[in-house]
Amino acid sequence: MRSMGTAEPRPVAPHASVARPPAAPSVSAQGVAARLAAVVGGANVVTDEAELLVYEADGLTHGRVRPELVVLPGSTEEVAAVARIAHAANVPLVPRGAGTGLSGGARPVPGCAVLSLSRMRRILAVDLENGWARVEPGVINLDVTRAVAGKGFYYAPDPSSQSVCSIGGNLAENSGGAHCLKYGFTTNHVLAARVVLSDGEIVDLGGPAADAPGYDLLAALVGSEGMLAVVTEATLRLLRRPEATRTFFATFPSTDEAGNAVSGIISAGILPAAIEMMDRLAIVAAKAATGLDWPDVGAALLMDADGCAAEVEHVSARAIEIARAAGALEIRVPRDEAERQLMWKGRKSAFAAVGRISPNYLVEDGVIPRSEIARVLREIERMAAEAGLRVANVFHAGDGNLHPLVLYDARNAGEEERAAALGGEILRLCIRSGGSITGEHGVGAEKAAYMAEQFAPDDLDTMQRVRCAFDGAAILNPGKVFPTPRLCGEKPGRYEPHPAEAAGLAERW
Amino acid sequence: MSAPAPMADAGVVLGLAPRAVFEPASLDEAAEVMRALARDRLAVTFVGGGTKLDLGHPPARLDAVVRTGRLAGVREHAPSDQIVAVEAGMTVAALQRLLAPHRQRLALDPPDAERATVGGVLAANAFGPRRTRFGAVRDLVIGITLVRADGAVARGGGKVVKNVAGFDLPRLMCGSLGTLGLVAEVVFRLHPLPEASATVAIDGLSPGAVRALATAALDAHLEPVALAALPGASGDRFRAAARFEGFGPGVRDQVERLLALAARDGRRGERLEGAEEAALWGAHDALRGSGDVRAKATFPPAALERAAEALRPLAGALRGGAILLHPALGIAFVAGALDRAEDVAPTLEGAREALRPDHGAIVLEAAPPALRARADVWGPPPAALQVMRRLKAELDPDGRLAPGRFVGGL
Repeated sequence: MRSMGTAEPRPVAPHASVARPPAAPSVSAQGVAARLAAVVGGANVVTDEAELLVYEADGLTHGRVRPELVVLPGSTEEVAAVARIAHAANVPLVPRGAGTGLSGGARPVPGCAVLSLSRMRRILAVDLENGWARVEPGVINLDVTRAVAGKGFYYAPDPSSQSVCSIGGNLAENSGGAHCLKYGFTTNHVLAARVVLSDGEIVDLGGPAADAPGYDLLAALVGSEGMLAVVTEATLRLLRRPEATRTFFATFPSTDEAGNAVSGIISAGILPAAIEMMDRLAIVAAKAATGLDWPDVGAALLMDADGCAAEVEHVSARAIEIARAAGALEIRVPRDEAERQLMWKGRKSAFAAVGRISPNYLVEDGVIPRSEIARVLREIERMAAEAGLRVANVFHAGDGNLHPLVLYDARNAGEEERAAALGGEILRLCIRSGGSITGEHGVGAEKAAYMAEQFAPDDLDTMQRVRCAFDGAAILNPGKVFPTPRLCGEKPGRYEPHPAEAAGLAERW
Repeated sequence: MSAPAPMADAGVVLGLAPRAVFEPASLDEAAEVMRALARDRLAVTFVGGGTKLDLGHPPARLDAVVRTGRLAGVREHAPSDQIVAVEAGMTVAALQRLLAPHRQRLALDPPDAERATVGGVLAANAFGPRRTRFGAVRDLVIGITLVRADGAVARGGGKVVKNVAGFDLPRLMCGSLGTLGLVAEVVFRLHPLPEASATVAIDGLSPGAVRALATAALDAHLEPVALAALPGASGDRFRAAARFEGFGPGVRDQVERLLALAARDGRRGERLEGAEEAALWGAHDALRGSGDVRAKATFPPAALERAAEALRPLAGALRGGAILLHPALGIAFVAGALDRAEDVAPTLEGAREALRPDHGAIVLEAAPPALRARADVWGPPPAALQVMRRLKAELDPDGRLAPGRFVGGL
């Protein structure tokens, strides 16, 4: 969840309290700072309290924690040296990209050093023949596309924050975006990575050729929220721009009809590049922010189809027919690219636009099976009414990724707590519906407690073993993802013979 | 519940005779078996359809085999959500038959689909020509249930496509060849069955011309679902094949545009549909599985010509040796029958050497013992071997899951 429109840092909501890692080691801050400064230069070690303020939180602004210091290395070798120093001093390292994350994935822990990759922002190589770009982690997502757009290529993952978020953070969170329905997530677009382990070892994962022999460690790395290794170079797959894109905007009396239209389009064998839904409140907010002449309706869909021109014309016409049959009130097809961009601007501004109709709001991120959309939305509406709050819904309808925006006024006593509690209940509803507590924002510090509701202890134990294989010292981004962090080497719940088994199989061998 | 009794006839697996073979019929039974094996410290290898048993080294120890053949049920098929959850022992063909009435498919076409199981396909990273468009199993798996070496049941991912909660166990297991745990259940995202399909075949191409054609097609924004080159009618030339699937208008348009692209270079392409089209892709699969030596070479796509050149001596040293190219993927297959291992081994090493500057690799996916004695099936160990060793030690601390079968002795 993200607290928006609040000038003051808010306390962590009670339901979202995060299990803390084992007590932070006492840092001889000056000693470590001096050693780090010797590696990266004094100007690239921040210890000044006022300057540290910026690093107390990422895009999730409550639950702030001041780090001991911030270190800004400029190369893989410097990152490795920083890791060796931190490892030797047992100082937790919290990697940080652009700080746009919405789950507190870059939130410091007491006594830690924040490892900012923001100085490493070079595009190192582009190879269009083989379809890749090798970049440093601080490169901004959209800058990858900008570097190759002139040649007709682009980098597919397009999180809404793509003009400010960085590739390193995208890898950490396995970022998605509106178009991942067709094109997949960050994990589908990373060919290789150079990483630094917590002990300072530099390791190459993956490669420019397919199927590098060995375990697919890259799969474990992407989406590991900075807990396995620090990415210092990433080789990203580049795609050719599709030949054609067709967009339409459709309005409906309610989210029920809009949901049926989405189901109909998908079951007709159409794979849209993106299909987004907004409910009444979100449409009102988007109108207020952009001045678009969208009507006052119960729901709206915005769909992109892309690919080769003949296919796209066919698919788009068929999708429009299906939307009409599902009860669309009005279909708008943009006359040109400018109008198309305006429609997308309306959709993309919906988050921030909610600030126009409410003093404060929380952004949730949950996933449900697509076919459950109508039922879940009615349930959210009921829960909101019970809590005496309003919820605006903006979501990636094609893959069931909801972004409920819980509106509240922090000036009213107890309202923020009620909003946070409602957000938590919405996540539980996603879990009960067979979905997930996060589709693209990550677990981070914010949702670690919910992991125990979505996963069983053995599931989490298995994931923690993966972490131990990479970071046996458990100093990389501690306190994230797992509700009950544990030290490597402990093996809770290891094999114990079952009595029945002992009786049944013991004598067979 | 007690674990199922081992089958009477254990048979021989990977040239080794296990003391017992288990065929659990449920996840609970599989967990029981694994706990029993853990208690007795027995080494175990998992077998699905047995189509990839030649992949990797024979395990250093093999006390027991767990077959997944009876673990073949459907857990959930949600057509409107385009996902299916099945047990690992279901064959790919059976899964496709289950999905077809709903106009859906798993967009993965490994050879031998009647025998290959979904768990085996995942563990061996098996794939077919449609990988060009839909990716490999890692791009289609969204959830997994594992039985760990200690018998614990662990799940990762889930049944929704978009999901970033927790570490990505489903993808991590892809290609791990049963050395990290027993894949017991798999959840896949599905794709619609296409309304139309057609293939354009163009014969008489050099590897360079295959690469040029592939690049020209992609630059023209064509979107083939499969792109491969088979041995052509004459000499060392190839017959390139591009398959288009989707709705009728898109397929027709792309076929015509590719034919026009070929004509521009003075080449005549053929349009294949129905039985003719099936025959071409069937021939591809048959060639890929022919003989007793099968190699997979991987390289950056632009190195296709060098790779084809590097693989020629290897193909030449095999009886009926053939090369298949997948230009958009940067993958080539060599298949043929072994006559003299002492002639073949140096050609393999030579090809590896030639691909090294391009970061390419060659894995022998099948080879008789005579060749294995002279050549490492995996080639040089990967850069991250130390991390892989630690991962193996975390999930299989006693080294009992197909020990030594995987890269670098994992």
